[in-house]
Amino acid sequence: MRRIQRRLYRGLLFLLALVLSYCLSHAGPSSTVAQAQSQIFVNQASAQFVGPNGPATTVSNQTQVGTLTPPGPLLPLLQITKTADRAAAEPGDVAIYRLLVTNLSTQPATPLTITDQLPLGLLYVPNSVQTTPQQPTQVVATDSSLTLTFASLGPGESVSVAYGVLLTPDAVRGGGRNIAQASAPGFTPVTAAYQMTIRPGILADCGTILGRVFVDKNFDGQQQPGEAGVPNAVIFMDDGNRILTDPDGLFSLANVLPGYRVGTLDLYSLPGYTLAPNLYRIEENSVSRFVRLSPGGLGRMNFAVTPTFGEEQS
Amino acid sequence: MNQRWWIGYGAIALGLPAVGMAIAPALGQSALATYSMRVTSGDDGPVQPDQGLTLREAIELANGTLTPEQLSEAEQALVQPLPAGQGSRIGFDLPAGQTTIALVDLLPEIVAPELVIDGTTQAGYDAEATYDPKFPAAPAVSLTVAEGSEVARGLTIAADGVTVRGLSLYGFRTSDRATQTTPPSDIFVSALAPPVDASPLSPVLALFRLDQPDAAPRGVVIEQNWLGLPPDGEFPTVPSAFGVTVFNAVETTIRNNRIQNHDGSAIITGFRADGLQVSENAIIGNGLAGMPDAIRLEGTIAASAITDNLICANDGSGIYLFKPEGATQISGNAIQYNGRRFERAAVYLMGSDHQLSDNFIGYQPGPGVAVTAFPESHRNQIRGNRYAELDGLAIDLNTQGNTEVQDFQKGDGPNPPRNSHHRRRETGNAAINAPQFDAYSFASGAAEVTLTGTADPGSEVDLYRVAEDGFPYSPLTEPLGTVTASPEGTFSASLALPPGTRVSAIATDPAWGTSEPAAVSSVLAADGTLPDLPATPVEPPSCNPPEPPPAPVEPPPPLEPLRLEIPRNVHFALDRSNISPESAGVLDQIAAALLEYPFLTVELHGHTDPRASAAYNLALSERRSLAAREYLIRKGVPMERMRIVPLGETQRRSEGSGRVEYARDRRVEFIFTDVRGLDIIFLNQEADLQLE
Repeated sequence: MRRIQRRLYRGLLFLLALVLSYCLSHAGPSSTVAQAQSQIFVNQASAQFVGPNGPATTVSNQTQVGTLTPPGPLLPLLQITKTADRAAAEPGDVAIYRLLVTNLSTQPATPLTITDQLPLGLLYVPNSVQTTPQQPTQVVATDSSLTLTFASLGPGESVSVAYGVLLTPDAVRGGGRNIAQASAPGFTPVTAAYQMTIRPGILADCGTILGRVFVDKNFDGQQQPGEAGVPNAVIFMDDGNRILTDPDGLFSLANVLPGYRVGTLDLYSLPGYTLAPNLYRIEENSVSRFVRLSPGGLGRMNFAVTPTFGEEQS
Repeated sequence: MNQRWWIGYGAIALGLPAVGMAIAPALGQSALATYSMRVTSGDDGPVQPDQGLTLREAIELANGTLTPEQLSEAEQALVQPLPAGQGSRIGFDLPAGQTTIALVDLLPEIVAPELVIDGTTQAGYDAEATYDPKFPAAPAVSLTVAEGSEVARGLTIAADGVTVRGLSLYGFRTSDRATQTTPPSDIFVSALAPPVDASPLSPVLALFRLDQPDAAPRGVVIEQNWLGLPPDGEFPTVPSAFGVTVFNAVETTIRNNRIQNHDGSAIITGFRADGLQVSENAIIGNGLAGMPDAIRLEGTIAASAITDNLICANDGSGIYLFKPEGATQISGNAIQYNGRRFERAAVYLMGSDHQLSDNFIGYQPGPGVAVTAFPESHRNQIRGNRYAELDGLAIDLNTQGNTEVQDFQKGDGPNPPRNSHHRRRETGNAAINAPQFDAYSFASGAAEVTLTGTADPGSEVDLYRVAEDGFPYSPLTEPLGTVTASPEGTFSASLALPPGTRVSAIATDPAWGTSEPAAVSSVLAADGTLPDLPATPVEPPSCNPPEPPPAPVEPPPPLEPLRLEIPRNVHFALDRSNISPESAGVLDQIAAALLEYPFLTVELHGHTDPRASAAYNLALSERRSLAAREYLIRKGVPMERMRIVPLGETQRRSEGSGRVEYARDRRVEFIFTDVRGLDIIFLNQEADLQLE
């Protein structure tokens, strides 16, 4: 009993010593770290316990951290950040760009010039510049560039600029990468880029193909009430796309390049069915459908099927 | 659109005389003169006054498109006017030995109401030879296609109350051509059948009157016929495409027929088949090269019933309901050995309120009954059926909106218990839970064993005995009784069952339908042991017609251990699936063995060499298996004993890439099962190897 108690006591002490040393090494005021950037921290832990030969002390090895070199003289430094209200845009959209310029140095930047070069197809929206807290002394805007001049940006101060750009149809041909630059005499110019994904949007020329596979009961090639759709039928496109019909026998294919497109019903995917004869449109008596898809247009490929026999012939 | 209308008007203009002829009698039905006629000539050809009355002339007389005055006197003697109000009758008095009517062209559509075409009137018809109503006596008159001709349909029926009795119809199909044809069949029932081929003369859509139920022929009866096989019962040289197509007709009755050997389904419905009655038919070996299901119901099928049929050895499902409207009743059928080519459920249900009762469903490489998850299928009552030898659940409800390819063929296996009310909408029979026994084994008391478990509250739990071992969801062999689950969802049943019995259960709620079976539980002896019950030998059912009156049965000699050598493979030429003369010799040996030992069953594994795409090779291997099967069928091997398993290029015989290796790969292997202790040496022969 006594022995157990003694062991417990020993363990407790050891734990206490560990916790204490951890606190010592970590809980020091943070200001001391900042002040003593060039100092060397030496850390050593010790533990006391009651051993078989009475109280004893044991010491850990020494660890040391931080041999930071003192920073060099502060350079005149500007910082620029560029963001926009969207990552992707389409022609016709207005995107809002924001710039934040901060003077990180100890001397004022006088005067501060901010230049923003817009990529192809993006137009500056006239009179859309808003800046805080300073107002620019001069704004020069052309269609594709914007230059703002501020009287002075004091040490540690920031200026925020927001402006709108309109995406024209030409934007589709451009890169969508926009570079802003901030400069001041005596400062190294800094730049920030923002990449916006330009989607073709309304100018996209991809079309859509929709269609259905169904059991034709009156052999007219159209689906009427009572003519059930066939699930899991496979249609192959000329470019190798494989389309599966849904449980109602419908399918749709978005983003199809315009032009002459051909889709073929894979009869192997519907055992027991074959293409239904069309009594009224001879063109539709074929397992493939030919669609002239105009840019951005809609094409239709309906396949009428009917129960089959004589599969060994084909 | 415009163009289509122009075609339509053109069709009216050009087709007016023909359409007028077809429609006029239908409109003036009461005015039709009726006759009793005797067909004495098996010839076919244009209508002309000559010595004998042909079937074509008889039908035209009944239709009113021909008058007796246009015929010769000899023919007029065979035509007796009947009093008004009685339908025409066509009997047969063909000279002996000339009882085959070989058509050279489509017969006119039958528009005479209440016409009876009765093949049993022919001398030589032996009604006494019917030992089982499912297998009517061999017809004396057969209706087929003249050699070298192509006729798409045997009889086309468009009038009310027409009866076709005691005929053998076979060989009706169309050949492959650039543009498909509308489905050919032995008997086609519809108001104005669609033309066989597409042409500018197709009647405009409105003339089909699909939207008018009144226009559909009502009460057509097809009985005691042999469809798809000649009176000698052999496999026909030219198989028919479909058996009976009920395309647009109400209250059609198909009873006591033998429907066999079709490329497509035996019975298929099209647009409307309300009130269809299919009873006591033998539907064997259909779907060989087309729609594989024996009975395929599509369109509206309200108040239809399929009762007491033998549905055996078809290539797909026994009964497949594809998105029908209305409910059907399926009872008393024996549905066995189907799925020879497609591993489908024996019965596949889509739609709600179907009733499946008192059927025997077995020997299927798929589940017994599958209920689809989409379209929504609820309240299907599946009770009192017996199951055996299934590869899947006795009842499989598709769940979680599963609509993959497999789900529309085999189902998706056991469902987890319902964990959300949304499961009801995306599961067959509204996700009614399968019952669950409280334990996998119950100790038997002195006389009875008390089985307890849980099921959906208020549902009726049918307990079943399970005879087969293995799989926790073995087929439900025989119903034991029914108990009702308490409102708390528990059930308890006390039954006198011998220890060693294995039991399962299904739950039925009228509001939702029948559940999947419970996992099997067994009855222990009082001391906690599980004794082995003596296995009762089950003689597997066959599809054979009943034998003539019971010959004195001599006890079968005990099977002696016997050594037998059977070749187990045949080879094929590159990219071919035809049977070479050498392979035919090998197949003859296999056929002889199969015929000598009627219990032997065989799987035909088709293989190809690894060249060409996997999909192409899969199709090629299937053609090879089918070719081998067709050869064996023609040698008289019953088709319920053969299964098609195409394997494509997945299992090569050899590893190299030389001519010899490829030649060895191109083969069909015969995997014999159920050898019953017979000591068979299977020979990998290479006598018919085709090098190229």
